[in-house]
Amino acid sequence: MSQARTLTFSIFRYDPQESGDKPKMVTYSLTEAPGMTVFIALNQLRETQDPSLQFDFVCRAGICGSCAMVINGFPTLACRTLTANYPDGHIKLMPLPGFDLIGDLSVNTGKFMRELSERLSLWLHPNSADNDIHRIEAPMSPEEATKLYELERCVECGVCVSACATKQMRDTFVGAVGMMKIARFELDSRDTRTADDFYHVIGNQDGVFGCMTLLGCQDTCPKDLPHMQQIAYLRRKMASV
Amino acid sequence: MAANSLQTKVDRAVNTDKGFAHPLWAARADKLQSLSGVLLGLFLVMHLHFESSILFGKEAFYQVAQFLEGGIFSETGHGYPLVTKIFSCFMLLILLIHAVFALRRFPTQLGQWRALRNQMRFLPHEDTKIWFWQMITGFLLFFLVPTHLFTMITNPEIGPHLSAERVYHLNAWALYILLLPVVAVHAVFGLYRVVVKWGLVEQRFAMLKFAKVLLVYLMVLGVASLLTYIFIGRSLALPVVPYVSML
Repeated sequence: MSQARTLTFSIFRYDPQESGDKPKMVTYSLTEAPGMTVFIALNQLRETQDPSLQFDFVCRAGICGSCAMVINGFPTLACRTLTANYPDGHIKLMPLPGFDLIGDLSVNTGKFMRELSERLSLWLHPNSADNDIHRIEAPMSPEEATKLYELERCVECGVCVSACATKQMRDTFVGAVGMMKIARFELDSRDTRTADDFYHVIGNQDGVFGCMTLLGCQDTCPKDLPHMQQIAYLRRKMASV
Repeated sequence: MAANSLQTKVDRAVNTDKGFAHPLWAARADKLQSLSGVLLGLFLVMHLHFESSILFGKEAFYQVAQFLEGGIFSETGHGYPLVTKIFSCFMLLILLIHAVFALRRFPTQLGQWRALRNQMRFLPHEDTKIWFWQMITGFLLFFLVPTHLFTMITNPEIGPHLSAERVYHLNAWALYILLLPVVAVHAVFGLYRVVVKWGLVEQRFAMLKFAKVLLVYLMVLGVASLLTYIFIGRSLALPVVPYVSML
């Protein structure tokens, strides 16, 4: 039987709450286990070596989007990244750029997503005149529902935002997550907003016309959402308004 | 109705920003940038093919040049250099349109430039790198292409001997050796990016591979014809006499 590898983790450490603390990289060693993910490794490090290590997680299965971080220069979910993917056993972990740092690997994506949601009105706008709750709802075609579910798979992990150089250069840019959600409501037959209404929200330099098609979102999205096609669809739609 | 007109007034008061920041211009700017870029890119591909007809000999290039200068409309069969002049002016106009709209993509503040460089170091990513080079080559072309166009506007004579004279004796090779790689990279990746940007093709990676093959092909074509002009130029005695058709 082959000997288990020893992994070397180089982890960004900084606690903004602690006065006098300076950002630094700290190295940890850990014995690899079969099927180990970066998320499992981080939990073991916290349990056995350093209880002060900060990182986010909830579901450990790529559903909650909490554990996004930059792993060896690639932003992705820690729970979906096997340590076996790194043959030399060196793993460098950095927090997602473009968000407020809570501490170490933990960033405040929630604050960003909430502000984005409020700014772009990312909720269903049904016909307000039709408020008879006894009326049977109009059925949605399975094709339409499938399309919506495809876009609903977004877990708001923030990877697309951190992988977008446009967003890093222009802080007010809505990013792929904002456009994905707009496209989701644009496709929804229950939403009464017209293309014209959406144009007012994303038909500008902070929206779809500010996107420079760098495709960082497309190449890093851990849920493999079709950002490239979706943004192109919105761009064509908005350009014809 | 009253509420509507009030809303319009409010909108007008709020939307006071002039220029391309206005929402209507956002869509127009994106469309015009892409459209002018496609025109310039396709023109470059044709241009390189036409001028590389020198690879098939002086006669081939002579015939191509006379045809494009409208030789079939003249009694002598000779084209009009004025056509080149007018066409160069037209391309300069398209170039200006493209430059004006592409300029809004440039990082205008040092902070933006730093953010971009930081991001590229932090997360190496191919398409971001492609755009970065698109921007650098675009900046260089802003100086190189007008230089080329102004020589074609002021001195539009084209022919196997006259062009070779320009390249070799008047030292245009120095410009072309810079212009060729810069414009080829900018045009090929620009066309790839337009196709992806507007979602005209789903197979992005196949498209990217095609763009790289096209780039190599255009470079080989360009370098080969540039060398041919240099060789022809070296063999010409001064003062240069225009080529006379053998047909």
